[in-house]
Formats: sequence, C-alpha cells, structure tokens
Amino acid sequence: MPVLKTLHLSRTTKPVDRLMRGVLWAIALGFIVVLTVFVGAILKQGWPVLNLGFLSKMPETLDAGGGIKPQLFNSIYLVVLSLGLSLPVGLGAGIYLSEYAGKGRTLRFFRLCIETLAATPSIVLALFGMIVFVQTMGWSFSIRSGAVTLALLNIPVITRVTEISLLAVPRELKEASYGLGATKLQTILKVALPYAATGILTGLVLTAGRAFGESAILVFTAGTNTSAHFPDFRMTVPGETLSVHLWYVTSDGTLPDAREIAAGTAAVMILVLLLLNLAVRFLDRAIRRRTR
Amino acid sequence: MNDLPDSTLSPPSPLAVLAQRDEPAAPVAAGSQEARPALNFRQSRLSRLADRWSHLIFLGCSLLVVLLIGGILFFLASRGLAAFVPMAGNVGRTLRLGEVFLSSDWAPSSDKFGILPFLAGSLSVTGLALLLAAPTGILTGVFIAKLAPHWMRNLMRQVMDLLVGIPSVVYGIFGLTVILPIVSRSWLKDAPASGFAVSALILSVMIVPTIVSLSTDAFESLPPSLDEGAQALGSSRWQAIWHVLIPAAKPRLITATVLGLGRAIGEAMAVQMVIGNNPQWIALLRESTGSTSFLHTLFTPAATLTTELVQELPNTASGSTWNNVLFAMGLLLYLITMALILATRKLGQGREA
Repeated sequence: MPVLKTLHLSRTTKPVDRLMRGVLWAIALGFIVVLTVFVGAILKQGWPVLNLGFLSKMPETLDAGGGIKPQLFNSIYLVVLSLGLSLPVGLGAGIYLSEYAGKGRTLRFFRLCIETLAATPSIVLALFGMIVFVQTMGWSFSIRSGAVTLALLNIPVITRVTEISLLAVPRELKEASYGLGATKLQTILKVALPYAATGILTGLVLTAGRAFGESAILVFTAGTNTSAHFPDFRMTVPGETLSVHLWYVTSDGTLPDAREIAAGTAAVMILVLLLLNLAVRFLDRAIRRRTR
Repeated sequence: MNDLPDSTLSPPSPLAVLAQRDEPAAPVAAGSQEARPALNFRQSRLSRLADRWSHLIFLGCSLLVVLLIGGILFFLASRGLAAFVPMAGNVGRTLRLGEVFLSSDWAPSSDKFGILPFLAGSLSVTGLALLLAAPTGILTGVFIAKLAPHWMRNLMRQVMDLLVGIPSVVYGIFGLTVILPIVSRSWLKDAPASGFAVSALILSVMIVPTIVSLSTDAFESLPPSLDEGAQALGSSRWQAIWHVLIPAAKPRLITATVLGLGRAIGEAMAVQMVIGNNPQWIALLRESTGSTSFLHTLFTPAATLTTELVQELPNTASGSTWNNVLFAMGLLLYLITMALILATRKLGQGREA
C-alpha cells in the first residue's frame, strides 16, 4: 500500500490534525449559519407584509396592496393534481423495479432511465410540456398543462422512494404471506405496501414540497396569469402559483409594491416548507418507532 | 388452499405482525386449529388471473418512464433541429451548425444566432459553483460520516434537508435582496452588481446538499477496516481521512460532484434573477480588457443557456429561427444531462471492476 509511506508521525502531524478538525467543524457550522441567515432574512423581510389580508386578497395588476389568495390556491391545487397523476405511475414503476425486475440488465436499464428523468433539468421538462401540452394538444397555458408537466418532475422521485421502501420490507414478512397462500400480487398489495406506506408517505411529502416550489415548469405551462374567480377548479384556466408569482412580480416590475409582495410570498413559501419538513420528521419518527 | 395446514403457522413473529394489522384484539394462537389466518387470502380465479397479469401494469408504468425519456428527446429535437434542417412549420431561414455553435455573436434581431456566450456562461457559472461546493460538500460529507458526534450528525441532516427543499425562486430573491445590495455597497461598488460570482455563490448553496448526502453515503459505505487499519498504523484522524478514506471513496465522490454539476447546469430561475441577463457579455469583456480586474469580470452581467430560455422563449413566435435556436439550446441541455448520467454510470462500473 503506497499509503504506508505517508503515515509517519512528524512534529506537524498533531497540529495539522487539530487544524483540519477545526476546519471541518467550521465548514459544517458555516452551513448552519448560512441556513439561519437565509431563513431569517426571508422571514424578516416578509414579516411586515404577512397578515390575513395578504393571504386572502386578490392580486392587483397595477396598484399596490394586492394579495396572493388565488396563487396560494393554485399552488395547492396544482400540487394535489400533479401528485394524483404521478402517484399511480410512480407506485407502479417502483413496485415493478423492486418486485419484478430481478437483478439483471432490465433493472439496470430502468434505473438508468429513472435517474435520467430525475436529473433532467426542470427547464427541459418545461420545454417538453410547452411543445406537447400547450401547443400540440392545444391546452394552452392552463392548470391541466401545468399539472401533467409537473407530474413528470414527481414520477422519478416517487418511483425511487417506493422502490427503496419496498426493498426495506423484511423478507420473513413476505415469506409468511406466501406461506399463508397469498399470490405475489396479494403479498405486494396487502403486506408489502402497507408496511412500506410510511416511507412512501415521507417521500410524497418531500415531493409535494418540491412541486410546491417549482417555478420553471409552471411559467411555461401554467402561465403567469390567474383566473378572476376565486375558487376556480376549472382545469382550462391559467394557474399562476406562488413561486411563479414571486418570480413574475420581481422580473416584470409593473407593480409599485413588487418588492413587498415578493418578500411576503417568499416568507409564505418558507413557512410552508418548514411545515412540510416538520411533517417529514414526524413521519420519520413514526417509522423508527415501528421498526424498533 | 383455503384451509391452511398448521405447519405454515410455524414462524410466529411475522404472523403476529400480520395479525395485529387486521384484528389487534385477538392474538393468533399459533398451532391451534381455531386460529384464523390474519389475512384471508381468497384464491378465486379472479385473483389468480390478477396475479398473472398485474405485472404488466407495473411494467407499463416503468415503460412509461422510458417512453418519456424518448419522448422528451424526440419533441425537443423536432423543434431544436428545425433550426438547422428545413422542416414543416419553419418560417425563418435554416442555419449552419457553425454559425450557431462557433459564434459568440447573439443578435437575433439582426439575424445573428451564436450561442457561444450562453454555453460559456453556463460552463463558467457551473464551474465556479462547483469550485465552491465540491470541496466544502465532500469535507462536510466526511465530517458527517466520520467525525461528527451524533447530535451534530442529525442537525446537519436537517440543515441539508432544508437547504435542498428551499425553492429556487426563494434563492433568487435572497440573492436579489440580500447579496446584491451587499456587493454594491462594498469596495466592488463600481462593478456592475450582478453576474457570475453571485450566481455561482447561490448555485453552490443549492447543489451542496446533493454533494453532501452522496458523499456521506460514500464514506459510510466504506469498510470500517480501512479506517481502523489506518489508525492502527498510527495515523491521526485527519491523516486517515486524507490519505485513506478520500482516495478510497474517490469514484463515488466524483459521481457526487458530477450529479451536483448536473443540478447546477440545469438551474434556471435562481440564476436568471441575479445574473443580469446580458447575452453580449463576451463583447463587453473584450471591449474593457485591461481596464478591469479579474474580480470585476466576475461581476459582469452575463447569461447562461437556462437564463436565456427563461428570458426570451415567451417573446418569440413559434417556428421562427429565433424560437428554433432556443429549443436547440434546450436540446443541448438535455443531451448534456444525459451525458453526465452516463458518465456517472461509467464511473460506477469502474468501481465494481
């Protein structure tokens, strides 16, 4: 081993060791500071704007004092729709990969495809959604174009989470199910999936957070306008979400209070994110309690 | 198949789990004839049929992903390649490859479509971001895996989870309202307050969680004998990390960095909000050579492949040369991503061999 040469103890060994331990601690603490400053700055900027009126008013197009009610609604609506579309596909693909694909070339090929889809930049998915749904299918900028394209972003994450959670199901559990005379499908649906459900749910919450914050895809598929009605469940109207609104008011610049609105929107998004993270921790603890 | 022989009830613990799921009040007395199996699996013809054909549904879901990969490639190519090949629906002229990929002259209104500024912009921003994120991310990974006490490990996981979850527009607004004012108040105030440095800084924070979590996994999956051996030979903690652990984890660390690179090069909104969106940045730099320091060039307003797409795609007519070139840029991004994923595969194979 060539390593042996370098492992001699010299006078500098100990100070260097201590120094580098310090550096590692400093880097790690640095990230904590970055996060604290980040969240702190966003919340501090947004705090004066945040009140019930801001959350429950319609946005203005030219005057100051608009709210974000429809954007908040669209964000949640789009997340729910896209999860509803991607969950069956992601679950199915995850089940196939963990239970049916074996260990050979098929598995490696499908994994490669899912990794590729997961790594595809959201702006590329946005272009795809724009060509296919907005233009070719003539759905124009609408909730349905946005939801379907957003689902493409979720599918690889849900697939991966399902696969990992199903692989973690103890073998004895499945064998016991087979022993009771269950078919493979029954074992998967009634034994493995319920066992893996908490893990999959954690993944779903994380996916929801990602979809909630996504903007590039929605700018090009769901558009930067919103319906004038409030709860507008139609799928054919444009649906600007919170993140798109945040981007649009900052870069468009026709609103006199664009800065305040952007700050307030950012604070709302950070708060939602923190809530989702709490939910994930809660679920995680539930998993650990059960598998203990 | 309906009456189960007693022998199938012999492994009691998993069954107990099953039983609790269905009827927690009645524990299964293993071995007794009355004990009902907790889950009643009815073996009708229907369920056998379902079992036989259901895997096709699951296979279909997986194939859908494959189809999507191909579909994205096909549709992006159908629009992107229209810039170079005459196609139906083209209203503009077709371009030669050279005048797009080898020219730094981007002026669509006067029919000049050189995308070199965006390619160079993407590569420089990504490169700078990696320069910041890769060393810090890998060192944080080794810190979490090998050095940190338990509470610190958990805390760092939380921090990285939050950092990865923050939406890119929020990163953008942070850069816009916090970092840029700081830059313009500093000794750099005569420099244009946007550009590479700020974008790279924000990007590096965005991709660090990817690099940290993958490199933590890499260090945790190393056999403990490596670490123990190094320490038995009398190495200090740092010597073990630097001379043994990092070289041993190298292929996976490179994979982590490549995936971070992939995330950075595809990021659009955060970069678009702070980079200044100036497609003529190469010309600007060329004009001012000599008079500006290297640090000032870092703050030149610039543009990347992604920012240009966000900036100009909504304003171009479908089928025009301008529009087609923008889609060609998207296609290029997609091909870069695919190449990066394939590269991580090659690295992985090298490790197994």
